[in-house]
Amino acid sequence: MIEAGWKVLAQLALLLVMAPLVSGWIKLWKARFQTRRGPGLLQPYRDIYKLLRKGMVIPETASWLFAATPYAVFLVTLLAGLMVPMVAADTPIGLFGGVLAVVYLLGLARFFLALGGLDAGSSFGGLGSSREMTIAALAEPTLMLSVFTVAIGGGSTSLSEMARAAIGQQWHFLVPSQVLAFAALFIVLLAETGRLPVDNPATHLELTMIHEAMILEYSGPYLALIEWGASIKQLLLMVLLINVFWPFGLSAAWSLTGIAGGLGWLVVKLALLSSAIVLVETANAKMRLFRVPELMAVGFILGALALVSTFLL
Amino acid sequence: MDLLHNPEFGEKVVTLMAAFVLVLQMAMVGQRSLLMNIRLFGAQSFLLALIAAAIAWYNHAAHIYLAAGLTLAVKAFIVPVLLERLVERIQIRHEIEPIVNVPFSIIISGGLTLVAYMVGTSFYHPETGGASLGHNTLSVAISIFLIGFFMMLNRRKAMTQVLALLSLENGVFLAAICLTYGVPLIVELGILFDVLVAVMVLGILVYRIRETLDSMDVSKLRSLRG
Repeated sequence: MIEAGWKVLAQLALLLVMAPLVSGWIKLWKARFQTRRGPGLLQPYRDIYKLLRKGMVIPETASWLFAATPYAVFLVTLLAGLMVPMVAADTPIGLFGGVLAVVYLLGLARFFLALGGLDAGSSFGGLGSSREMTIAALAEPTLMLSVFTVAIGGGSTSLSEMARAAIGQQWHFLVPSQVLAFAALFIVLLAETGRLPVDNPATHLELTMIHEAMILEYSGPYLALIEWGASIKQLLLMVLLINVFWPFGLSAAWSLTGIAGGLGWLVVKLALLSSAIVLVETANAKMRLFRVPELMAVGFILGALALVSTFLL
Repeated sequence: MDLLHNPEFGEKVVTLMAAFVLVLQMAMVGQRSLLMNIRLFGAQSFLLALIAAAIAWYNHAAHIYLAAGLTLAVKAFIVPVLLERLVERIQIRHEIEPIVNVPFSIIISGGLTLVAYMVGTSFYHPETGGASLGHNTLSVAISIFLIGFFMMLNRRKAMTQVLALLSLENGVFLAAICLTYGVPLIVELGILFDVLVAVMVLGILVYRIRETLDSMDVSKLRSLRG
């Protein structure tokens, strides 16, 4: 019992500390690619600290949902984060079918966020919520298909089981369906974290914004919670992607040396994946909203082919 | 365990890269920008050359290295550069407008891949002890061939049809190299030379079509009939 509590605390600390760092890292390198100096690596921490001390402006029309949303989003995302293997194959919490619970906890967080956007009563909030739900509806089938592909390979929907199976097989788990599923999941990652071809995380341009439109009415500590939650969600999805597809370096047990090694590998792999995201974001312009389904269709077909090819081969 | 001399690992690597080739083909179907399409084709050819080199390494077939080198030089560098120059010269700024809309094209391509997998598995008889390498990679090769064919049908502009033809040829090359460990060198040279000449001739043709019709839409050629 004590050991379990220790694992939970360790992973909580990792999630809370690393998430803003990853956001800062991506922002910094994006700026460098555009030959700007960019904000420092620690800027997201400073932003959160600043927002936590500020006062709040709450719309007159808002109900209790508006106040509950930031907490719900933050806590549900954290809970989902505890169910993903980060440094060790063992997850601190494993509930209701592992990866399925993770995916739908994220869905719950998005549901609250969309409600919060609507509740504020501004037209931008409604616009953002509607767009977010459209894209989510397109991304979810792809996410589930690629997750099932990996789950079939691992023989379980529990993320720890999947990671352990992948580690045990060494290079034998490299099959074509993994490549297809990885490509599909990468597209989902871009869409779900509001990255560039789908949504622009850097602007508040009213025509194009999706995520930013939903949280436009939030300020102060509420905004800090939502931003922090969003960066935790981004970290979570990235960790899911790297530890399911490149599980090497993942420690088998929660020993001190194992965790140190796992942490080292995690940082290396996160740096690699963030550079891929930075490259995609720098090389692409934002898509028109009505072109987004085309991108999602590519992802969906890749995911479907991945699943089918595990049975055919 | 020495991975560099383990044929089983080599087979894994080849099928993985073949899957990447398929991903790139899907991206070509979904991509509307012409320049991006040319670059994707270059990347696909580069991967193809890597596959050829990997097959040569793991099966100790030295003559495939030459095929790999030629593919790398001609299809990954010379042809994309030629095509990009052509795009600059006739100043194409329009996006590709496929006849069937993009999401549906991608779904059709997915269906074609399934057909290719079914055809590919029918050649697979592990009990007779034949080459196991063919099986996965052959399916990918057939699907690239079919999707390339579909892309040719699906596009109106001459330039984009040339690209589709080239990616179709990539599928043929992949099939040849995974089934028979490469066709005889003289045939290989013939095919590559053929591709190079075809690109040049088609380049001139595209330019002429554009000059006379003010458009590259091949369906407009019909209006010349008396």
